[in-house]
Amino acid sequence: MPNASSGTRASGPTTARVVRTAALLALVVVVLLFPSLAPDPFILSVGVVILSYAVLATSWNLVGGFTGYISLGHAAYSGLGGYATALLILRSGLNPWLALVVGALIVALIAIPVGIASLRVRGASFVIVSIALVLILQLTFQSWHTFTGGSGGLRVPRPFGPDVLRPEQHERFFYLHAVLLALALLTWWAIERSRLGAGLKAIREDEDKAQALGVPTFAYKLTALVTSAFFTALGGGLYALWFGYLDPIFQFSILVGTYMVLMSLLGGVRSLFGPLLGAVVVGYAVEVFKSQYGDTQFHLVATGILLGLVVLFMPDGVIPALTSFLNRRRRAASIREVSAEELARQREEATR
Amino acid sequence: MSTSPPTIGSVTTEGLTKSFGGVRAVDGASVAFHDGEINALIGPNGSGKTTFFNCVTGMIRPDAGTVTYRDRDVTGLAPHRIARSGIGRSFQLCRVFPRLTVLENVLVAVQPHGLLERLRGMRNPDDVARARELLARVGIDHLEHAEARDISYGQQKLLELAGVLMGDPHTIMLDEPAGGVNPALVDRIADLVRELNAEGRTFIIVEHNMELVMGLSDHVVVFDRGRPIAQGTPAVVQDDPQVLEAYLGV
Ligand SMILES: Nc1ncnc2c1ncn2[C@@H]1O[C@H](COP(=O)(O)OP(=O)(O)O)[C@@H](O)[C@H]1O
Ligand SMILES: [Mg+2]
Repeated sequence: MPNASSGTRASGPTTARVVRTAALLALVVVVLLFPSLAPDPFILSVGVVILSYAVLATSWNLVGGFTGYISLGHAAYSGLGGYATALLILRSGLNPWLALVVGALIVALIAIPVGIASLRVRGASFVIVSIALVLILQLTFQSWHTFTGGSGGLRVPRPFGPDVLRPEQHERFFYLHAVLLALALLTWWAIERSRLGAGLKAIREDEDKAQALGVPTFAYKLTALVTSAFFTALGGGLYALWFGYLDPIFQFSILVGTYMVLMSLLGGVRSLFGPLLGAVVVGYAVEVFKSQYGDTQFHLVATGILLGLVVLFMPDGVIPALTSFLNRRRRAASIREVSAEELARQREEATR
Repeated sequence: MSTSPPTIGSVTTEGLTKSFGGVRAVDGASVAFHDGEINALIGPNGSGKTTFFNCVTGMIRPDAGTVTYRDRDVTGLAPHRIARSGIGRSFQLCRVFPRLTVLENVLVAVQPHGLLERLRGMRNPDDVARARELLARVGIDHLEHAEARDISYGQQKLLELAGVLMGDPHTIMLDEPAGGVNPALVDRIADLVRELNAEGRTFIIVEHNMELVMGLSDHVVVFDRGRPIAQGTPAVVQDDPQVLEAYLGV
């Protein structure tokens, strides 16, 4: 029987597998060559920004995609990651790379009580707590001058010395982001295949049912959130090391969190590369827009509209919409007999 | 057919109570189901059978009362712990994971202890082989790659049963297994229940199909307004005046 569904695959190379391997190789080659192909440092810096978005969106997807718990406040973790890295360098004199990792570990610890408070109840409470967290952090980091630099911002020491010129800086950070992205993707991929992943996806589909089958739902959701916070913080920290400056307004902004959601939803939360694709599209659009029209509020409106359109018309994202469109064309005869809803309705009518 | 008194209680409740607003869905119910047997829980619509199931399986925390399972107090435990203690359940109106494949739906039920065990691949050969065996047993192994939302309602019911079996439960609680499925499938489900019971599994079945209940069960508990009004063998229960009244309103 030809196998149109994703996931399970018998042994032996199928066309789908060959295509996927080729696409993956092409992606790796493009990423590796991008710095030498980029015509100028600006384009290269856009590349860094897009990879950073891709890291953040892929990290967001570790909780959003697996569990279906939509966090609009993931900027809390990227912002904290940036500040933790900077403060560990400035106040504790840690080596920048060590500061990056230790900072992310601290943020992962912080995510534990946040998760305990917000993951118990389903639905809106998680979204609201996630937004509240960002706003609280923004206010705190703005007003706590002595420690965080306050609203004046915080200068982050550069890990590479002054003898490393700008384009060279961009290039190094481009590859560093690529490595981090690869790690986040690898983690997502490993979880996706695991029993943990099966449990998480079951939570996304039907949490009660998952529990009844023995999935320790709370522990799993918390695991996903903490893992996601860890990678998001690494993303925020690495970006801070590159950008060299932290401003609480931009670090703890709802907009950054919304971008992560939009990118993931657009590309597809169920696919490994969905958030990456979304990040390329949205990140590119945002950067072009900024450079053309400056930092107006219009991109807020555009983001909102785009998010609405995706949720309404392609709730699974672009990649899945395309694949299922292709699959449905190929697989004309469906195995569907009568859907569950139809039967439930018939039954309701019969018992009335 | 007389049944010898059970040595271990299966699911046993004392004064189990759960209200929704003013409605006492389960009202001080004290019930004992028999281990190793096919038990039925019947009663008019709205008599609290599903709520009773939900209290026993931890989906709802009861307001009062206790739930004991095989001589162990399980009141108020989280659903996954109750599942792990050996109680599997299906849901009224059937619940599967619509966007997971049929095979994945069954594999979800493999949830061992320990982080390392949980990080193992879900498609390890042993689990997949067992899942396929169960799918074959309920007769839908040919659909393993289909998404659960794309199979028929009857097939979803069978899939739900296969998922429950993957957890290897000692006791299986089914909420209206024959609801909304065609007569041929009802027979198939009944045969499966008999087979599984012969292998030593206990059943507690909520069902409206009286023919099925009476033909299948060893022990019947009748609910009315949240509490048992009769229990015993099908023959005894069938002639109970209170049961007739609750059902027929005479
Ligand atoms: N989640 C709920 N919220 C409010 N009322 C409920 C809920 N679940 C059940 N009930 C009420 O509890 C009573 C028992 O319902 P239920 O347990 O579903 O009965 P049965 O399964 O025997 O038909 C009904 O009156 C029903 O309306
Ligand atoms: Mg019911």
